[in-house]
Amino acid sequence: MSLNISDLVNEDASLISRRCWSDEGVYALEKRGIFGKSWLFLGHESQIRAPGDFVQAYMCETPIIVSRGQDGGIYANINSCTHRGLPVCRADHGNTKRFVCPYHNWSYSVEGNLMTIPQESEVVRKPDKTQLGLKRVPRVESWRGMIFGSFDEAIIPLDEYLGDMRFYLDAFFDRFPAGIEFMGAPHRWVINANWKLPVENQLGDVNHGAFLHSAIIPIEAQQLIEKLGHSVVTTPGHGATFRLMPENTPVDDVAWGMEAVGSIFGGDEVQNYLREIQTQAHERVGDLRSRMKGLTYGIYPNLSFLWSNTSFKVSHPRGPGKVEYWSWAVVPADAPDNIKKILRTNYSSFFGPAGILEQEDSEVWAQQFLGSNIDFADDRPYYYGLGLGEEKPHPDMPGLVSVTANEFYARHFFTRWKKELQAAEGPL
Amino acid sequence: MSALSIEVTPEQQRQLERFYFHEARLLDNRQYLQWLTLLSEDVRYIIPSRVNVQVNNRARGQEDMISVEHELEGEDSMGCPHREEGYILLMLRAERAYKINSWSENPPARTRRIVGNIELMEHSSDTLSVLSNFHLYYARPGSDNILYSGQRRDTLLSQADGFRIVRREVVLDYAAIEVPTLGLFF
Ligand code: FES
Ligand SMILES: [Fe+2]
Repeated sequence: MSLNISDLVNEDASLISRRCWSDEGVYALEKRGIFGKSWLFLGHESQIRAPGDFVQAYMCETPIIVSRGQDGGIYANINSCTHRGLPVCRADHGNTKRFVCPYHNWSYSVEGNLMTIPQESEVVRKPDKTQLGLKRVPRVESWRGMIFGSFDEAIIPLDEYLGDMRFYLDAFFDRFPAGIEFMGAPHRWVINANWKLPVENQLGDVNHGAFLHSAIIPIEAQQLIEKLGHSVVTTPGHGATFRLMPENTPVDDVAWGMEAVGSIFGGDEVQNYLREIQTQAHERVGDLRSRMKGLTYGIYPNLSFLWSNTSFKVSHPRGPGKVEYWSWAVVPADAPDNIKKILRTNYSSFFGPAGILEQEDSEVWAQQFLGSNIDFADDRPYYYGLGLGEEKPHPDMPGLVSVTANEFYARHFFTRWKKELQAAEGPL
Repeated sequence: MSALSIEVTPEQQRQLERFYFHEARLLDNRQYLQWLTLLSEDVRYIIPSRVNVQVNNRARGQEDMISVEHELEGEDSMGCPHREEGYILLMLRAERAYKINSWSENPPARTRRIVGNIELMEHSSDTLSVLSNFHLYYARPGSDNILYSGQRRDTLLSQADGFRIVRREVVLDYAAIEVPTLGLFF
């Protein structure tokens, strides 16, 4: 079937075709035009502290080994042997000197260089090992410990790519003198959904809470979110939602983490710890940002940060109708272990594969794919027009700002998406 | 966990089976509020996450090299278990089932639990350590039909009117989670 990208997203992105979510050809273009061209999240430096440490990651469907080299640098290589293509690393994480391929035992250093070919002693002409290392991800950069990689050698620097999102990310990161760390391996959840819907959900769709999650979230809490809620788009595809608490809000009502279930039942020690962080926030991030009580963040194309329940998430596509949704619990790096253990449940109780809230989200994401993949409905694109044109610049905050019911975050995402797919269009 | 279970009389074994079969029937019949009465108020309900670990070369030739325990990120680890819950969260999950807007379970899933391999591992005064395995068949509209498989590591308290669950650790046989939710009662 031949598809015209300009037919999938209309001029103001208020109408989005069902095919965007379900078409194989669109997905092939997404791989090339978006996942081949963007900065993609690989992991956090806290996961690979020592030389030889490694974790697995994905860039779209491509398996990646992220490692700390003997020189202390960070390396990202495609996990596929140059000889016959097998994965050379089979563990989710660990520490090693060599990755040894099972088939003929070619061995690679943690930096990805080919070190030994056992068979070469038996042949006369020796292969040039310097040309036969694992394929290196050409660009790897970090910001605040977050490691990203790109297949596009010419991509703009990561700092610039993140742009004004850094203002909002720092509202969280800068609260912690020692930064943050990831706890353990990611939870990897396979959901029969298109990768963009979890992304859209975390990019700005706070408004569904009152409806989809009404069995769990009290209506008063949701009304407060609507009342104080701000939705921001810094660059198309990047966005943040948060509550901006009024000045002189009591510390317990504004402090990060206090509203989540682990902290509520976790006792004085964890609560005092969170109060202390909030007390210092004014000095560390300034008045305005100290009053931000974050909800969800999105970094184009597929990284999300859930501030309220403190988790990083990546939506890894596995075809148009399947996603491997990774999530990690995130905690302040210098918190005592017993407090970290309480804080991780702020994430796991409500989000992730066992989450009492996210079980509703994953269900509707899967249902949306079914709806996007039916016949005879292509003349009924999805309506994305809520709040059209109502977003505005803000005197004190970068980006365009609006109420959370305004779907501009998604319109901006699809405008960028369309442009990038058009640039990639052409014979596959 | 290599020890043989302790020797029990047929009556003791029957008592344990009676408890577990009753529990499974309550859950399959969606009688979650009655299920809550089987829990001790200070219950701990844990589901470790499970990872593909790097094999320790120095342990080659030994059973410990591929021990299941190395794959688990449990309560005491600095990883992130899937669930670490007490009575209140379990109650929240149970009560949620009877709300009309619990969309992921509306219409509710059809489940069938088969509990077996019940082994009494330790017994001191009124406290019992019991292992059991389960297969849980799970079907709901729009989802594929799913088989959950795992082991339960229970601590039970024996009371005059029957057992109470004080602690349950559920070891699931998955690393990547290819099932719709881990929010069920296993
Ligand atoms: S395929 Fe890797 S060594 Fe042959
Ligand atoms: Fe949600």
